[in-house]
Amino acid sequence: MERKQLAPGVHLSCDPAEKLNRCRISIHFTFPADRQTATAHALLPLVMERGYAGCPDMTGLTKKLARLYGADLTVDGRPMGANRNLCVSVTGIKNRFALAGEDLSQAYTELVLGVAFHPCMADGAFDQEAVSIEKQMLRQSLEDELNDKRLYCMRQTARAFYGDSPMGIRQEGYLEEVDGLTGADLAAAYETMLRTASMELMVLGCTPDETARIEAAFLEELAKIPRRPVPTAPFLAMPRQTAVHKTECFDMVQAKLCMAFTLGQPMDLADLAAVRLAMALYGGSVTSRLFLNVRERDHLCYYCASSFQSFTGSMTVSSGIEPGDAARAEEAILNELADLCTGPITSQELEDCRRGLIDGLEGVEDSLGSLESWYAMEIIRGGAITTPAQARADLAAVTVDQVRAVLRRFSLSVSYLLTKKEGPYV
Amino acid sequence: MSDHLRAILDCAGNERYVLPSGLTVLVRPMPGYAAAHAIVAARFGSIDLHFRLGEEELTLPAGVAHYLEHKMFEDQEGDAFAKFARTGANANAFTSFDRTCYYFTATNAVDESLDVLLEMVTHPYFTDETVAKEQGIIAQEIKMYEDSPDWRLITELCQCLYHAHPIRSDIAGSCESIAQITPEMLYDCCKAFYAPSNLVLAAAGNITSQRVLDACARAGLDKPAAAPAARRLCAEELMTLARTQKTLRMAVAKPCFGIGFKEAPLAPGDGRTEALYDLILCCVSGGMSRLYRRLYDEGLVNPGFGGEVLRVDGCCCILFTGESDTPDTVEQMLLEEIERIRADGVDREIFTLCKNEKYGQLVENLENVEDSASQMADFALMGQTVAQQIEMLAGLTPEDADAALQEILQPGRMARVRILPDGSAAPDQDETD
Repeated sequence: MERKQLAPGVHLSCDPAEKLNRCRISIHFTFPADRQTATAHALLPLVMERGYAGCPDMTGLTKKLARLYGADLTVDGRPMGANRNLCVSVTGIKNRFALAGEDLSQAYTELVLGVAFHPCMADGAFDQEAVSIEKQMLRQSLEDELNDKRLYCMRQTARAFYGDSPMGIRQEGYLEEVDGLTGADLAAAYETMLRTASMELMVLGCTPDETARIEAAFLEELAKIPRRPVPTAPFLAMPRQTAVHKTECFDMVQAKLCMAFTLGQPMDLADLAAVRLAMALYGGSVTSRLFLNVRERDHLCYYCASSFQSFTGSMTVSSGIEPGDAARAEEAILNELADLCTGPITSQELEDCRRGLIDGLEGVEDSLGSLESWYAMEIIRGGAITTPAQARADLAAVTVDQVRAVLRRFSLSVSYLLTKKEGPYV
Repeated sequence: MSDHLRAILDCAGNERYVLPSGLTVLVRPMPGYAAAHAIVAARFGSIDLHFRLGEEELTLPAGVAHYLEHKMFEDQEGDAFAKFARTGANANAFTSFDRTCYYFTATNAVDESLDVLLEMVTHPYFTDETVAKEQGIIAQEIKMYEDSPDWRLITELCQCLYHAHPIRSDIAGSCESIAQITPEMLYDCCKAFYAPSNLVLAAAGNITSQRVLDACARAGLDKPAAAPAARRLCAEELMTLARTQKTLRMAVAKPCFGIGFKEAPLAPGDGRTEALYDLILCCVSGGMSRLYRRLYDEGLVNPGFGGEVLRVDGCCCILFTGESDTPDTVEQMLLEEIERIRADGVDREIFTLCKNEKYGQLVENLENVEDSASQMADFALMGQTVAQQIEMLAGLTPEDADAALQEILQPGRMARVRILPDGSAAPDQDETD
């Protein structure tokens, strides 16, 4: 992957990825989250994805994508701690597969730039009809979040964990604010993003000539924007606190338990390799303690997995359990963490986890999705960009003491249980 | 042949062998890739509940194929996950209605990982104790799906549409059915369905045919083996419905609906009709359709609304599912649109664009090692190749769709399922420090 600066706060990253059949052009906007515009930013991707000035009609756009052999256009909003990332991307098959010899990469370029820089706006506001329809969709998705119990439990845990912190600003928006949003509100949020966000143009799977063409077209659009980039928010972390237990009761068969832990201080990127290995050992792999002991040996959970969020210095353990086993499951999850912090860690289990991670990292460049995810995360995290090869070398050097040191820093903040109507579990 | 068609056929090329044991082996080396993906697919899924093994007629409890999938990871020395951990491979498995697949992705020690994979599918080991200990985990998995409205819609629709076909049973079975599973049953299943001639091994990525064939030889799969002794037994299934509607209540925030149409079963290997039904669905309710746009703009459905073709041996149905505050209105609009298209014919532009999308999907599936190997295995189970699939797709016409529409999606063979909020969505909360 090559990277160069195009303007202050604007970069191009590209990789020809010749072996792959498809190419992908994406534009990442990264900016500090703002409580005032959170719901507008939840709505913005939905409205942008349904059309742009050059193709304002949603069905027309779907047909345009189908004509490009089912090219995939997405506009995604993602939380990155106290920052937000909005990514506009088009992925489609390479020119050599076009049955009628069409210049597909040129069409992808027009699409991605059109959606990112020329949304359907008039008189300083997004198209009212599109806004109105997508408000309805956003409202429905917020009202329906309970239908996916696992996701709902994780969201409720995050809400309880982050509270009013900037990291807790809801990426999905706030239900009570949806009705009041206008096309002008959306336009204001969008214009601010264009002016202030860090931008990363990522071009994967295109030839050098195609990349040069895409870069030139992008720079043309950039020149029209009165840019005043603002820095992104630094890594943050929630302070340690006495663990809070919350229970919600529904008529459900399997209970969900989600536990949020904090490092107590922001993540140090120098620890990233140790954190990766610690997660694989604790609950991020099929050779982890949570999988082998809590699931396979004790049969307390169907799934029980840990994940680490570097932007917020937090770890989440999510599990699906028997309603009557909640207290036992929580105890087992905490015991496994304590055992890793103070008990023996065999070299075999450590090496199994390390081997699995290194093996996976060797395949990062085998798919467009993993290639983009890897470098986008590296770029958004800031600091020097680590290649998958460097990350493998870093992993190879991690010691068991470093893994323990990382795990010892986690403390439980919130334990959230969704269960049957049988009362709280503690 | 055009250069463009040649480009995709070059990507889709694979080497194919049928070993003396009967095992079908497909290999697609992908130059420049670091990883290899290998998959063993057994023609044994949740619908295989009733079969003849030698002189004996066996009826198994629901969920046995899925249970077997879990247990195939164990042997006398421990479990295959631990062995894969030694090689660094990322391994898993899944069971569907008509197949069970075991697979891994690895960049190093691929030969050793192939050995683990082939050992586990050819050397089952079950005891009363190991079989019994799996019940808790699988019961948890069953319960997880019971809370999923999307999955419940599919299973309930199948129960409405079918009288006797085993598609009525959940893939994982029920807590009661899996309690009946014994080691003997699992051994019978292996004997009946895990013979090499009932398996397909597909590998793609940083791998060569020679390495795969060598692994097969190490596993003894290069020698003649007994053919599968099983013969699937199917109860007669009428084209009438078991019931026309069902309503249940769950902890959901919004009503969910499912509309299913029972169709005549397709002949084995008939991928053409299945692809045609897919294109028809795209024309009726896909993102480019008039119906979808109307439902979406009026807020009657969310983007999750859509249709799918569910097809296995002896069963073919078309299912529409979604969430809506007004499922009756959605159903009415869907039926009206089907009748309109039946009378007027499918939109020619949309039909062609849907074919374009399917072609793009085929190219996409050849891009990464996982999809590439899975696609080879899928097509092999259907007795097809990618090249045949492209040719078949190119040959489908709107007139084919118009003709098929005179037969399918008939209101007289339609069932509906509704999931209504049970009122518990306004939660009781409790908090302690």
